[in-house]
Order: sequence, then C-alpha cells, then structure tokens
Amino acid sequence: MRRLLRKKIAVGALLFIGVFYFCGLFAPVVAPHSYTDQNLDAVNQGPSLSHPLGTDSLGRDMLSRVIWASRTTAMVTIATLLTGGLVLAVGLGLLAGYAGGKVDTAIMRVGDVFFGLPALPMLIMINATVGARVRGWGWLGAIERGLRIDGFPDYVVIFGALSLFFWVGGARIIRSQVLALRETEYVTAARAMGASTWRIIGQHLLPNVSNIVIVSLSASLGAIAGTEIMLSWFGVGVQPPTPSFGAMLYEGGSIRTLQANPHLLLVPGAIVAGLIFSFNLLGDALTDVLTPHAR
Amino acid sequence: MKRFLAVAALLLGLVTVASVVACGGSGGSSENAGSAGGGSASGPTLRMVGGDPLTLDPALVTDAISATYIVEIFSGLVTIDKDLKLAPDIAKSWDVSPDGKTYTFHLRDDVVFQQTYRQVTATDFKYSMERAVNPDTASTVAEAYLGDIVGARDMINGTASQISGIEVVDDFTLRITIDEPKPYFLAKMACPTSFVVDKTQVEDDQRNWTKKPHGTGPFMVKEWKLGESLTLQANERYYAGAPSVKTVNFMLSGGSQLTMYEDDEVDVAGISINDIERALDANDPLHSEYLSADSMSVSYLGFNTQKPPFDDPKVRQAFGLAIDRDKIVEVVLKDMVPVAHSIMPPGLPGYNSSATAGAYDPEKAKQLLAESRYGGPSGLPKITLSQVGAGATAGNDIQAMVEMWKQNLGVEVEIQQTDQATFWQDLDKRSYQMFAAGWVMDYPDPEDILDILFNSKSHQNSTGYSNPEVDQLLVQARTEQDSAKRMTLYQQVEQLILADVPWVPLYYGRDHVVVKPYVKNFMLPPVVMPYLRYVTIDQ
Amino acid sequence: MQGLLPYVVRRLLWAPLILLAVSFIAFAITRFGPGDPLRVAMGQYSDPVALERVRHEEGLDKPFFEQYGIYLKNLAHGKLGESLTYRNRDVSEVIFPRIWVSARLGLVALLIIFAVGVPLGIFAALRQGTWADPFSISVFLFLQSVPVLITVPLMLLVFVLKLHWLPAAGWGGLFDKRIVMPALALSLPGIAGIARLTRATTLSVLREDYVRTARAKGLREFTVISRHVVRNSLLPLVTVVGISLATLVEGAFFAETLLGIPGIGKLTFDSVQGRDYNIILALALVLCSAFIIANIVIDIAYTVIDPRVRYERQRLG
Repeated sequence: MRRLLRKKIAVGALLFIGVFYFCGLFAPVVAPHSYTDQNLDAVNQGPSLSHPLGTDSLGRDMLSRVIWASRTTAMVTIATLLTGGLVLAVGLGLLAGYAGGKVDTAIMRVGDVFFGLPALPMLIMINATVGARVRGWGWLGAIERGLRIDGFPDYVVIFGALSLFFWVGGARIIRSQVLALRETEYVTAARAMGASTWRIIGQHLLPNVSNIVIVSLSASLGAIAGTEIMLSWFGVGVQPPTPSFGAMLYEGGSIRTLQANPHLLLVPGAIVAGLIFSFNLLGDALTDVLTPHAR
Repeated sequence: MKRFLAVAALLLGLVTVASVVACGGSGGSSENAGSAGGGSASGPTLRMVGGDPLTLDPALVTDAISATYIVEIFSGLVTIDKDLKLAPDIAKSWDVSPDGKTYTFHLRDDVVFQQTYRQVTATDFKYSMERAVNPDTASTVAEAYLGDIVGARDMINGTASQISGIEVVDDFTLRITIDEPKPYFLAKMACPTSFVVDKTQVEDDQRNWTKKPHGTGPFMVKEWKLGESLTLQANERYYAGAPSVKTVNFMLSGGSQLTMYEDDEVDVAGISINDIERALDANDPLHSEYLSADSMSVSYLGFNTQKPPFDDPKVRQAFGLAIDRDKIVEVVLKDMVPVAHSIMPPGLPGYNSSATAGAYDPEKAKQLLAESRYGGPSGLPKITLSQVGAGATAGNDIQAMVEMWKQNLGVEVEIQQTDQATFWQDLDKRSYQMFAAGWVMDYPDPEDILDILFNSKSHQNSTGYSNPEVDQLLVQARTEQDSAKRMTLYQQVEQLILADVPWVPLYYGRDHVVVKPYVKNFMLPPVVMPYLRYVTIDQ
Repeated sequence: MQGLLPYVVRRLLWAPLILLAVSFIAFAITRFGPGDPLRVAMGQYSDPVALERVRHEEGLDKPFFEQYGIYLKNLAHGKLGESLTYRNRDVSEVIFPRIWVSARLGLVALLIIFAVGVPLGIFAALRQGTWADPFSISVFLFLQSVPVLITVPLMLLVFVLKLHWLPAAGWGGLFDKRIVMPALALSLPGIAGIARLTRATTLSVLREDYVRTARAKGLREFTVISRHVVRNSLLPLVTVVGISLATLVEGAFFAETLLGIPGIGKLTFDSVQGRDYNIILALALVLCSAFIIANIVIDIAYTVIDPRVRYERQRLG
C-alpha cells in the first residue's frame, strides 16, 4: 500500500475516486440543493456564484444533480462489486480452481455462457422484463422506505443483473491462480496433515490470491461504472427525477443542446471521464505494485 | 515468414488508414443522397427523413408511421383533402339511403393498379375488405374500422366466408350496408384498412407482395431497404394527375435531422425543442424556412377514477387546478405546443373554443383538496404517475408538474417510467392511479375520441370513467343524422367530461419543420392523409 | 499439432450446448416479464377480443414449453421465425442486413485500432525514458476512458457543424465517407488500449536477451525492431482482440443511434421496446455464436503462434 502511495498519479486517482464516492454516499448532506428544486425562471444558466456548475433545463442546480448522480453510480458500483465481484467471482473462482473436475467444468461453462452473451442488450432486456417484476416485490419497497433510498428496487435490478455479467473475468483469473497454488508444497502439506478444505481455502489460498483479486476488481470497477452509465443513458436504471450521469449525458448530448448549452454535456462528461480515468489509473498502478513481473 | 507477417501488418495498417482518410475526402457516392434540390435524371427529387414502416399492408397497419407511407401508395373509396374534409377518392360520388344505413358508391373508371395497369373495379374493393377481416390475415384493427359493416363480424369470427353487407352491384358500383346509421362511417373509410389491394399480386405472393405493392395511389415503391431507406416513385398513371415530384427518398435510419438539413443532405427536417429558438429568431436563416402546423392530437394526464385517491372528483379537480400549464409550455416546452383547454383538439369538427376545465388556481386547488374525502395532503395514499419512457427522455414537463404539486398542494408524487410494452398492458388493466398519455385522431370525427375513450363500456376507457348521462348522449350522437345537432351533442358531452376531470388536457399537438426554399406547397398534415402529390420543387 | 485437434473439437462440442442455454435463457426472460408484442403492435387502440384472436393465430397462447419446442424445431430447420413487429417479414431478412452493416463498421474500427494502436505503442516503448512516454501513456489512458456517448456528440459538433468535413448521419457502405466518424469514434478507446498493451509487451521484449544480442551483433535498429521485437510483441495482442470486439459491440449501440446507422444496435433496442421475441432471440443467438467462434479462433491462433501455450491448454483444458 505504501508503494502505491508513492506514485503520485495513483494518489491523484485515489483522491478523485475518494471525493467522488464520498459525495455520492453522503449526497443528502453534501449537495447544496435538492435535485428536484426547480426554478423555471433560471433555466440553462452557465456557472455562477449561486450555481457553480450552472443550471439545467428546469433550472435545477447542476452541482447538486451531479453529486446525487454520483450517488447512483457509487451505490451501483459498490453493490455490484460486492455481489458480482467478491461473492461470485472470488467464491466461484476459488471453488472452480480448488475443486477441479466436474465442478470446475460446470462453473467454467456457465461462465462461457455469460461471457458470450452481449451484456448491454441482455441488460436492457432483463431490465424491461424481469426488472418490472422485481420492482413489484413489496419487500424491496419496504427497504426503500426504511433506508430512505429513492429508487432502491431499480438499484437492485441493476446491480443484480450487472453482477451476472461481471463475475466471469475475475473468476477465471482467480481460478488459474488457484490452480497454480494448489500444487504448491505447503498446500500439499496442509492437505497431508488433514486440514479441511475450508481451512485450506481460507488460510492458504485466499491470502495469496488477494493481490490478484484486488487487481482484477479494480480493473472491473471502471467497466462497471461505464456500463451503468451506458444503461442509464438508455433509460434503464434509476428513473427521473433521480439524477444519473447517463441521463444527463443523454440530455446534454443532443447536438443542438451542445451548441447552445455546452455545459449540460461537458460537466457530467468531464466527471464521468475523470472517474473512469481514475479507475484505470488506479488499476494500472495497482498492477505495477502488486504484480511486478507483469510489466 | 513471421517477420514478413509483422511488416505486412504494419504496411496494411498504414494503407488502411490512408485509404480511409482518402475515401473520406472524395464525395461519397451514396445510395440515397440526391444532389441538393433533387435532380436525378428521373426528375425532381424530394429527400426526407422518415420512420421505419412496420408494414406496407393496408389491412395490417396500426401505427401512424406506416400509415403515412400507405396513404401515398394506396387509396380507397374516400380520402381527406387539404381542407380536412372528406373528399371523393376512387369513389367519385356516393348516395346514402334515407335510413342512413346503405351507402352506394359510384367508382371512377380510370383507376388502374400500379405496374400491371389492371383496371380497378368494385369486385377489387369487396376482395380487399374481406381480406382485411379474414382471420388468416391476422389484422388487429379489422374490427375497429370495418366492424360496422353488416356481416363483417361474422367473417372475423370465422362463421362466414364473405361480408354480406358488401355488394358488388356492377363493375363500378359498390353498395355497403352498415348496422346502424352512423355518420362517422364514411370517415373510417378514409383509413387504410378499407383501401384496395391487387388480388392477383396478393394471392401470387402472400409473403412478399408488400415489398413492391401494386397500389393505386400517387406514388409507388421503387425500393425499400428495411431500416435504411424507402424510395417512392411518382405514379404516372395516377387518376388525379401524376405528381410533380418524381422521386421521394426517405432516410429511415435516424440521426440528427437538422444537422443533415444544414448539411444539405435532406430537404425537410423536424425542429426539436433544442432548435426552436433558432427557428423563431428573425435573424437566423432558418427562420424563413420554418413551418409549423397543428396536428389533431392531445396530450393529457389521466386519472383512474376507480382507484383512490382519484375516485374523488375533488381530488382530481385539485390536481388539475394546481399546475400552471401556461408556464410549463412557455418555459419547459418553449411554446412549441398550444395549451389544451378542451378534449377535442382544434380542427376537429365539433371543436369548442370556449370549452374549459378551469384555469390555474393554486388556492382553489388547495381548498378543494381539503374539502375532499381525504381531507388534505396527509390523508392521501402514495401517488404514482406512470408514463412511457424510452431512452433517458425524462419528460421535463412532467417533472415540472410534480414539483408544482409539491409546492402548491404539498403532495409528493412519484414518477414511474416504464417501457411501452409494460405501459400499454398496465393501462389496459387499469392498474395505474395517474398516467400521462396522448391520443392521436385517426379520422376527423368526435366519435374517435369522446366515444372511444369515455364511453363506460369501451375497452379503451382507461380512466374507468362512467357517467350514464354521457353514455346516453354518446349513443344518441352515434346515429344522429343532423350534423349540426350531432356536434352540439358532442360538445355537451365534452363539457360534462371536463367538469368531472377524468382527464387534465395538457397540450394539443403541433409539428415543426424547416423546409428548403426550393420546395413549394409543402404541408404538415394534421391527420394521416396524402400530401406529397401537391409538393413541387423549383429547380 | 498433437493436442490441437482434440482441443478444438472439444470446444466446438460445447458450442451448441452453450447456444441452447443462451436460447433458453433469452426465451424465458422475454416471456417472463410483462409486455406483449401484439399489444405494442396495436398501439393506441386496445381491443381485447382482437388481441386474443391474433394471439391465437400467431400461436402465442400455447404453453411455454410447447412454444419453446416449436421454436427449436424451426431452428433446426434453419428458420428463425417471423418478426412480430415487422409484419410478415422473416427475422433473417430483418436482422442480416443490419448485422452486415454493423460487421463492416466493426471491422473498419478494428482495423483502425490495430493499424494506429500498434505503431503508437511501439513508438511509445522506444521512447521510454523521454517525456514522450509517460505523456503518451496518460493520453492513451484518458482516451480509453471517455465513453463513446461523449465522444460522438463532440465529434459531431466539431467535424460536422464547425468544420463541415463529414456528413452527419446515414450509411453508405464501406467506402462512403459516412463511415469515417462512427469508425473513428468507436476505435478511439480501442486504439488507446492496444497502444498501451503494445507498449508494455514491447518493453518486455526489448529487455530480452535476444534483442540485446541482435543489437550487439550490430544489426540496424530498424531490422532489430521489425524482425524481432514486433513479432513477439504482437502475440498478446491476439487475446485482446476478443475483448476489443466486445467493447466495439457495446460502443456500436450508441454510435449507431446517434449517427443514424442501420445496424444491430438500434434494432436491439427497438425490439426490446417492442418485445419482438423472435428478433431478440435471433440476435442473442447470432451474437453469442459470433463470440464463441471468435474466441475459439483467437485461442487457436494463439496456440499456433506460440507453441509454448499448447501444453498449458492441454493441462487446463
């Protein structure tokens, strides 16, 4: 970790990501205005003192909307990382690598199916069909009200579906690492001494795999965030008035809007580009630090 | 060998980049961009942008986009002329029996099918209409447009093999008998479902005949590349005179219309909300090319009158009075549409310019809400407004309205965007409390909006509105022969409905385009009707 | 070549099973959710009687597994079915022209990616130590991070409206200038990715002994590079082709929608909106088959190019 901090670029990236997620998670506190406060007399204004990033077509404060949109992205990426990344990728990767044989083949073939499916159209379709059903589940609505997170069922649909498509890459990497480790001396020794499977996985394999896990997870973060943004561009995901970057990019991206009010595209665009850039920088830096021979 | 591969790859790379750039420089010889103002050897060409038609079979068409092409390619007994009146088409005249149930159409004798030049007779009409109701054709709209004809429903249900109410008296005389003396029947005959198709062609090639159909209209299909382009060619044998424009090119694949227009790739382009300021600015060159016209449609908010809280008319009225539609249209929609004060849009026979549901009045709205059964904002259940969302189109106007309800009534409304398919299904099931939708007139008669949407027995009545007085007036109006009296009946109905507020009418439709100066006599049809044959192009 | 043929055969054997699974999942998902293609096709009119009648005629009221069975049977005969929104049109006539369009666009983009990315990467590797290297890495990385849906509107603004160099929309085939903008926009992230990767592998190759040997022998720099460095740097790029393809497909959706290109991107979105089951299914199957085949081809290519990999393949299967 210390080596990581020594690289200036990595620090910069971490900082950006940190600020982004902080604003995202604490949006209700950080944002100066509510994202729905509209002022029909002050639409499409450029940056000013009261609105540092200008206003949108309904007179809503861009800075606040951007902060709330970060929340959407932050929550989806974290949730997807936890389920798709940790639970599915690590769990299945470990299992496949260690258990081998039929279990391994089964998991890998299922992975092939999901890897081969075109993610974006499938996600759109899942959202339209299965998603509508899931949103009708009462208990999700209860959580929504309890945790005061607007659009909670939408989040569930999105990160659930995203996890399905993102676990494969990580699982494969972890699996091949496990395969290599499985034959090492201390694992063989542990088995000879009668250690249980779980013990071996937990104590021997997992710590050695953790580096790879971190690298692969950080690599997918950028892709997950990118996909979420693309999905919300299509209108899949959280619904207005809850802001999302994809929706803001859609509104600002129409070429006529761009000519008249470039800030509507450039503001969310710069932030999105910055975020993905930071993820990629971080991923690169981590790779350098944790796996020196990969250079 | 491997070295060779590597070097070859590099060279290939350079060559590819070079050629792409070079080809970019040369003028693109594309498949459908004519030169500006049209001038292929075949005569004046009009280039437009269009939607992808789902079908070119008049018996199957349900959507407006396909219909706009069909009315240029095919024709029927009657049509709608430039003044929005019912006018003769293939039927040059008709008589109506005293009881109002039998129409005798006298057909022109100079109509021939495109390509084959076979003469069109009354038998062709009987064939076409029976084909439309034939279960094998699987048309979803046959009942709607032809169901009034005696015997049609029997054929739809499979209990008859022909429509008894359609009689071929002789080659150029067609007699149609309907079940009741409905004056709006003729308006329905202007719609594609009853248009004439070429029996020989259809039976010869059931699957593919629509790719180059033998219609009878002013244009024929020259080429149709699904999803890419549709090219129409003037029908020189058209009985009302060959159109002046010889080729019409529709680009179907999308893209920014105005950008293409300014780049001289198309001659007509739609103006969206982002461009309207330029079009209205007198100093902008686009201004002199700008054209707008009302279209017969109305956008509205619908309330489910059977579901709380909108089962209480006071709540509905409160919500209606709490939104400042004028402000929304002015600021959010940039005055692109007229604010609606009535259900029947302007241009429709029966339109009542003094019909109204009440002007913006937030104080009264608050009061009404307090007077309602729910006692005020805190007594209301959770309210959701459902609308169709496709892509991240956020419906800024709806968002603005939701804010107004919050500010003026203290009520939080949640917006739920669903996709089209789910929306229609749930609308039919009447599972929404409140929804945003629009209605487009298919034929210019009040029956097509007031009866179909507010009759308590109608399937389309998605508000669940039920008013026996309205029902009775509607039934009466269906068969009222005196047209002035009929319109009065509909206006009464409208006033009753407006007072009950199952709908809050929001805006009427208005289309905005820019048209190149060398394109003359271009019009924006308020309903689907043929108009391309009037267009001329100055070379 | 010992282990190659059985390996290929084994992979190919799995393909139909995977496709079957994909078809089942897609079939189930489309029918599991709300939304009825016939109802969408009816548009503003709603007539439950007509709806049921047509549903019966189209066979959409049969039980789930019976419908799936009929679908599979037709598939075996090579029939993909009829579109539910485009009346009376075979799914194949709707899909294949659009796939062809997207394929050509993708190919051009792929070519640009490698043609520009590889030399750039090698250049950056050779300049390691100078300011050009870290600068170019950052630029590459940034380009790789900007999503297509930002670059396209910006490109439209600059190249079409301001400079009038390129047309705004439409498609004219491989050699029409309308391909330039979408191909460029799609290839930007890919160029950056390939450049970075090429740089990395080139660097590692440059450190290898045989390069030093070649230099010591006095060979000219250019010969050193073209004969030794490039060949060995290209190896890992082959694997990346697969990922590039996936990114291209995703980017294509937006490019097509924004630039009015009649490819599969817009078709996919529209058919999901309209619940055109048959088109959705066909698209899923076609895309999936393409990926499977592409991956197998890449794996084979990799195995052929680098004999060392073959043995690994056999062990890990």
